Amino acid sequence: MPNMNHPSIVGDDFRRGFRRQTEWSWSIATAFFFGEVGAGLFLVSLWFDFLPGMAWGLLLTAAGKTTGHMLHLGQPLRAWRAIFRLKTSWVSRGLLAIILFTGFGTAYVLCRAHLTLGLFPESLAPLYAGIAVAAAIFVMLYQGLAMSHSSAIPLWNTGLMPMIGLTYALLSGLSLVLASDPVFSVRTQDAATLIKAVELGLLAYAFISVLCLLHAARYGSKAGEQSADLLIKGDLASWFTPAVFGVGFMVPALLIAFGSGGPSLQFTAAAVLIGYYAFRVLILKAGVYDPIQSFVSETKRF
Amino acid sequence: MARWAMVFDLRRCIGCNACAVACKQENSLPHDVFFTRTLSEEAGEYPDVKRRYIPTLCNQCDDAPCERVCPTGATYTRPDGIVMVDEAKCIGCGSCIVACPYGARTRIDKGHLRDGLFQNGELTPFERQGIGRFVSGTVVKCTFCHERVDAGLQPACVITCPTDARLFGDLDDPDSKARRLIEQHGARPPLPEKNTRPKVYYID
Repeated sequence: MPNMNHPSIVGDDFRRGFRRQTEWSWSIATAFFFGEVGAGLFLVSLWFDFLPGMAWGLLLTAAGKTTGHMLHLGQPLRAWRAIFRLKTSWVSRGLLAIILFTGFGTAYVLCRAHLTLGLFPESLAPLYAGIAVAAAIFVMLYQGLAMSHSSAIPLWNTGLMPMIGLTYALLSGLSLVLASDPVFSVRTQDAATLIKAVELGLLAYAFISVLCLLHAARYGSKAGEQSADLLIKGDLASWFTPAVFGVGFMVPALLIAFGSGGPSLQFTAAAVLIGYYAFRVLILKAGVYDPIQSFVSETKRF
Repeated sequence: MARWAMVFDLRRCIGCNACAVACKQENSLPHDVFFTRTLSEEAGEYPDVKRRYIPTLCNQCDDAPCERVCPTGATYTRPDGIVMVDEAKCIGCGSCIVACPYGARTRIDKGHLRDGLFQNGELTPFERQGIGRFVSGTVVKCTFCHERVDAGLQPACVITCPTDARLFGDLDDPDSKARRLIEQHGARPPLPEKNTRPKVYYID
């Protein structure tokens, strides 16, 4: 059906015009969200040597991301086949990274908790951590690369997509660690100020990146313009502006700048996660294809 | 080895969509699934208004993004350039659908095979005979009627077109009508800026 608010978006009828992407929706967004948040939480927890955070990061990726993908796949029992095209497919490369991340990450956590039961050597823990870190960084990047790989949807076809994923992942990880680790409340003032500055910096970088994404789409192509309009003033604007900009950026910025204590950190983490999930869902929903090229020369009376 | 291509002469297309109906019959396509569509377009302002028709289908691209992004190898290109989907390997991830700039791919969902044309769960005789061709949760697309091509026949949409607006032929054969038309009329592929090197051309 044609979209009455966006007459040039024709939907699935037999007219030439812009078409919205409908294949990837909330289930893929959920998988991307959990994958990036889990990998980010693991990395930040590793940096602060916060073992429960590492375990939760692995669990979020292994359970949340897998569930999202399984809900989306048309043939979930064949999912193992997705490992076969490492040469060209980012989905294949991502699956390998997830396996390495969860496998070696779990091995490292078990080594640290002395729960290996002699199944693998604890002395290799630094090696497990190194592989898990490399794979976690790949998990944070590959989803953006998978989206930006194809030129079909101009909104996604930009190098900003993987960078936004990476930034949001680290921001979510840092917010969750700060919200869940009571150790941070007794850290020195200097350390707390530095961590706040890093969190604010990530927030600002993510905010600017999202603005740049919209700007590049708006002035890059006609389909990109349709996508940006959908997000800024169209059907999705009533969600995008309050959820991504308001809850996702403004609220955490105010809480980080003026809040203090545990509840403030927990509200910050919740706001960041809500904003990030909204971003993931809405960016997928705003994907618009270019129309098949016009073969009609425009006519105009003078 | 031939390299199959299709040429659309837009000066001849009358928008009857007989091609779409023939395609649905040939491939027993479920409701809401089309391998080819004839899009209409209006341009200009009264009284200088034009309506033209643009047939579309899978462009069997030489550098097919759908094949590149497929994580299982289910999408592959035959030696004659026809892009195929192996439904036994497809996991239904939709990467190919997202990557195709031409909207030429569809995922067969359970509803397509269960609800039927009238959306009441009762399949028509036509649907019952065709349902076995499809696997729920996998992706389907136009294959230039590859069984017909292998048997030396033309695709169903081509032989059905009442105005000869669709031409099918071998790009590597300098004497084929399709190749000659492309050269004589400077036929253009759709969305060349997407760098997919389609094997479908338009004459306008």
